[in-house]
Amino acid sequence: MTVSPREPAAAKPRVPRGPVLPWVSRQALVGLVVVVALAAAWPALLHPSAYQKNLVTLTFLYICTALAWNWLGGYLGQVSFGHSAMFGVGGFVSARILLSVHVPFAWAWIGGGIVAGLYALLWGHPTLRLRGPYFSIATIGVGEASRLVFTYWEWFTGGSSGLSLPIESGLKARLYWWGLGLLAIMVCASYALRKSSLGLGLLAIKSDVEAAADVGISPTFYQDLVLFLSGLAVGVTGAFYASYFSYIEPGDMFGFVQSISFVLMSVIGGVGTIVGPVLGAIVFVVLRESLIASYPQLYLGLYGILLVVIILFEPLGLMGLFFRIGKLTGLVRPQVVAKAAPGGTGAVRE
Amino acid sequence: MQHFAELFIASVLLAGLYAAMAFGLGLIYGVLRIVNLAHGGVIMAGAYAGWWLYETVGLDPYLSLIPVAAAAFLFGVVIYRLLVRRLPRGAAGGVQSLLLLFGVWLILRNIAYLLFTGNDQTLRTSYSTKALSLANASISVNRVAVFFIALAILLFLHLLLRKTYLGKAIRAVAQNPDSCTLVGIPIERIYALTFGIGTALAAAGGLLGATLFPFSPSFGSAELLKSFVVVVLGGLGSIAGTAIAALILAMVEIFSILIPGFPVYLTAAVGFVLLVLVLVLRPGGLFGQRVLG
Repeated sequence: MTVSPREPAAAKPRVPRGPVLPWVSRQALVGLVVVVALAAAWPALLHPSAYQKNLVTLTFLYICTALAWNWLGGYLGQVSFGHSAMFGVGGFVSARILLSVHVPFAWAWIGGGIVAGLYALLWGHPTLRLRGPYFSIATIGVGEASRLVFTYWEWFTGGSSGLSLPIESGLKARLYWWGLGLLAIMVCASYALRKSSLGLGLLAIKSDVEAAADVGISPTFYQDLVLFLSGLAVGVTGAFYASYFSYIEPGDMFGFVQSISFVLMSVIGGVGTIVGPVLGAIVFVVLRESLIASYPQLYLGLYGILLVVIILFEPLGLMGLFFRIGKLTGLVRPQVVAKAAPGGTGAVRE
Repeated sequence: MQHFAELFIASVLLAGLYAAMAFGLGLIYGVLRIVNLAHGGVIMAGAYAGWWLYETVGLDPYLSLIPVAAAAFLFGVVIYRLLVRRLPRGAAGGVQSLLLLFGVWLILRNIAYLLFTGNDQTLRTSYSTKALSLANASISVNRVAVFFIALAILLFLHLLLRKTYLGKAIRAVAQNPDSCTLVGIPIERIYALTFGIGTALAAAGGLLGATLFPFSPSFGSAELLKSFVVVVLGGLGSIAGTAIAALILAMVEIFSILIPGFPVYLTAAVGFVLLVLVLVLRPGGLFGQRVLG
């Protein structure tokens, strides 16, 4: 793998590139615009029920968290089982801002996101020098400790009885658009992160920390930066989530189940890819609504079985399945597969 | 001073339990280079197995250590044969084995919820509330028993790894699996046995823990983190290192209550803070990361 210098556009002249977003291929940009346009036209054209709209809004938020988790878990290869910590911090900080001062919702969401990003740095800066499994276990501790501490901080989180947020009429409807906007930003950011020199740096760190450091990529800086961004994005999503439900409590926001779902969505779709987490989040929400709503006592086991089966048979999840079918039918060239998830979970390692 | 001595004894007794819990995690990592995330789940399962045997058959928890550890050993071997063996080794398999074993943990947790509900359970025997008095201090009989059993387990492991053919083979595979195949060590069998032993240790640790603390299906995640702190602090495979690291963790946890105004709920975060301190001050562990040396 080569780490190209900072002139991505000039290095490969034969790939056609849009002038606005030099990292995004034209096909991907068109695809994104079409999907966003469809999602935007959907409420007006088909008049969905409140339940359906609710589900789609939640799916937008879950896609955002899955993509944000994937920056760390997929691009950098540092699997976090504690991302609910930032989700919760984002939610509660934004709730507190909204309850104490009168500012537009967006400010509170961004405020919550920034605090969540800083919180991620607080625990992440020392622990990110751990690689792989060591880091993951540390994040389990982070998640558990955050849940306990924030549940006890009743003055801040309202303890087990939770917090009620200010309610504004029409906010739920507007959050559909905000969610869609955030989703579009997250997809673009994922592409940008992947194709920029920062993304290449992350890939280099994932492949070999020492070698990356030797060629002048500071692992500390890159890892901290991507963790901050990931925490920021998850925090903003948590803040959206809080405003959307207008009631939050620490057991849910900081729960182990939230962390698991972030991991699971990426694994279902394909860790390290961009389309993967999006698909994974959609499958996850559908699965949860159809299957797990009827058997709530089985959800942990189902998540576990899904993890085991996917890792055993198709470590790259749905994307792996797609590539496998594509290879069989000759529709997808092998180079595309190698490019889609470089150094992924091992399935398509060069 | 009296207070101090009591706390010190309490931490020594607790350290035995931590060392027994942690050693299985370190052993599996040292030999297979896999962090067994199902460790926490097996700790929980061991606790429930001991409790169930006591409630239904009336088997004393310390006697049920043997069947529970044996069952956990078989479970570990099966998990290795069915699942872990199929993953690629080395860096590529790292994330995969992590997610896979995490899935196993979730399944174990769900089974526990289904069988025993999410309520906290306690293992209460006739001697649970008995205490020994030593000078002016009184020490729970259970804590002393747990300490000595944990010590016996560690001693047994030390002899196993040092004196037997199996132990030497395990250490050899940890050092260089490729050379082992050359001299005719069946490494697949050694991997399976090691995974089984590590799992059995986790279950035994969970059972011992159940005699001291209440537990629920989510029991085990804090214990996993503690085991991990001990492994990082003490290095891999060294019994003495593990013991000292466990003692440090137990002392930090117990003595933190002496800090005036220290909120009790923060004890949950003590292990993590200690982990961060170790990483910042001595990233290689206290004694350097020796592999089964």
